[in-house]
Amino acid sequence: MQRYPRWPIHLALMLAGFVMLVPFYWVLKTSVSGENIYAYPPSIVPRGAHLFYYVDVWYSIPFARYFLNSVAVSAIAVAGNVVFNAMAGYALSHGFRGKDVVLLLFLSCMMVPFQATIIPAYLITGRLGLLDSWLGLALPQCSTIICIFVFKASFDAVPRSLIDAARIDGLSEWRIIWHIMMPLSKAAIATNVILAFIWSWNNFLWPLIMTRSADMQTLPLGLARFLSYQEDTTGALYAFCIMVLAPGLLLFLLAQKEFIRGLTSGATKG
Amino acid sequence: MAIAVEAARPRGKALVRHRTRRALLLWCFLAPSLAIFLLYRIIPVVWNLVLSFQYWSPLAEAEPAGLDHYEDLLTDDVFWQALWNTLIVIASAPIGIAIALVLALLVNADIRGRDVYRTIIFLSYPLMTVAVAIIWRWMFDERVGLINYVARSLDLIDKPIPFLNSFTWALPSVIVANIWQILGFYMIILLTGLQNIPHELHEAAAIDGAGALHRFWRITLPLLKPSLFLAFVIGMLNSITSFDLVYVMTGGGPGRATEILVTYIYKLAFVQTKFDAAAAVTMVFFVLLLGTAWLANRLAGGNVGAAETE
Repeated sequence: MQRYPRWPIHLALMLAGFVMLVPFYWVLKTSVSGENIYAYPPSIVPRGAHLFYYVDVWYSIPFARYFLNSVAVSAIAVAGNVVFNAMAGYALSHGFRGKDVVLLLFLSCMMVPFQATIIPAYLITGRLGLLDSWLGLALPQCSTIICIFVFKASFDAVPRSLIDAARIDGLSEWRIIWHIMMPLSKAAIATNVILAFIWSWNNFLWPLIMTRSADMQTLPLGLARFLSYQEDTTGALYAFCIMVLAPGLLLFLLAQKEFIRGLTSGATKG
Repeated sequence: MAIAVEAARPRGKALVRHRTRRALLLWCFLAPSLAIFLLYRIIPVVWNLVLSFQYWSPLAEAEPAGLDHYEDLLTDDVFWQALWNTLIVIASAPIGIAIALVLALLVNADIRGRDVYRTIIFLSYPLMTVAVAIIWRWMFDERVGLINYVARSLDLIDKPIPFLNSFTWALPSVIVANIWQILGFYMIILLTGLQNIPHELHEAAAIDGAGALHRFWRITLPLLKPSLFLAFVIGMLNSITSFDLVYVMTGGGPGRATEILVTYIYKLAFVQTKFDAAAAVTMVFFVLLLGTAWLANRLAGGNVGAAETE
């Protein structure tokens, strides 16, 4: 390899990193700022930093309720994804009659974004009597095609002889999935968990359409509602923003590799 | 081992029965996922199509409407504005991809700390879009937004620009926020593509005396074509469906300056309860989406596959 100077690359990347990070900083700064947030010129470092706005969020909105709803809906979605996708992935890693049809169906479903189905999805959920409920919020996201293929790829890599041996030992297919396949597919499970969690945690359009009562609102809805009541007038909005971003950010930093693997495997295999 | 397996397998009629049972079991395993996709993908598409040819509201019986809703769209200014804005947002995807390509080339270089750079650039992608929209509202704020502040400090502008309340600037502002959020995802896709290009090609070309720029045009770019089109399909899907960002940043305003098809569908159906008219707009939206994806696929000259953005 020929040598080339590294500093221009570092310089360009630092600039890009700066552009990516500065909006976070600006909001974080505002959320702890002790002065009027509309003082001009805006201070670069927060003056008289305090956590008053964070306390304010706690008292001015039912944060705990929103948080509980978001956690419950995400938990249902994650559980649904892991169980249903593993089952479907296992079925697809076998040959059986009608498999081609199923594959075709899955691939064409991938071309239907949720936004193109909102009206019937709302009407269907209404008929099922699930409007304004945790299950109704989570149901459309309880199985994802990309994640099914992540499981399928992982199961395909398990040696056939192992499965055959398990069958001879009299294990049922159901137990083969849970006792043989799943322990060997930890990476696929992690990918499923993190993708399902992040999609469900961030989801906004669906809860916006189908929740009626204030009790059922999730965090993104609460955030949007807070914005529409208060406009941009209080630093509490930005404190709320930081509180909502933190869990997703933390999870992403912990499981970055699985997250990216999931996205790129779905993206390159299709 | 193989013999033992053979011996364990049932034969003849028993084998047939065994196979049928196995197939039945596999279908049972598929059932929950299939049910969810049926309920929330397949039936909705069909229902939506039917609904777009009917007069229907939650309180009234359905009546055939023929092409009435589609004809109404022809004279609906808001619809045309939303369609045009959606096309502009789609057309902005290549800008993000070009920036991401530069970044991907940079973080692909053999430098110290490149994983940290990758993480930082990717960081905004998995974040809640509603929060991202609020962050950017604040960045674009007329009085104390960072962008106005910097521009004024550098004497680029005399008066602060009310970005999100301006007919000229609102849509570009939303696009900037959109690109900021998805940039890292583009970069990861392109990086994966770059890493799949064999080193030997570059080395052989370098020995033959090809300069870096020449190698980029003749080797990197052609071999990166599938990744680039994949990024475009994903970017198109992302921008066409970026409801959260528009809804929270501008609500479609000022006037209808940032109205896109998805926000218009939402407003028609769930604010004005015109489900049938909204279904017709949804059909246009859906056809636009499939058309662009198909076109990108054809241009890529292969099966790029689809991506899910939720």
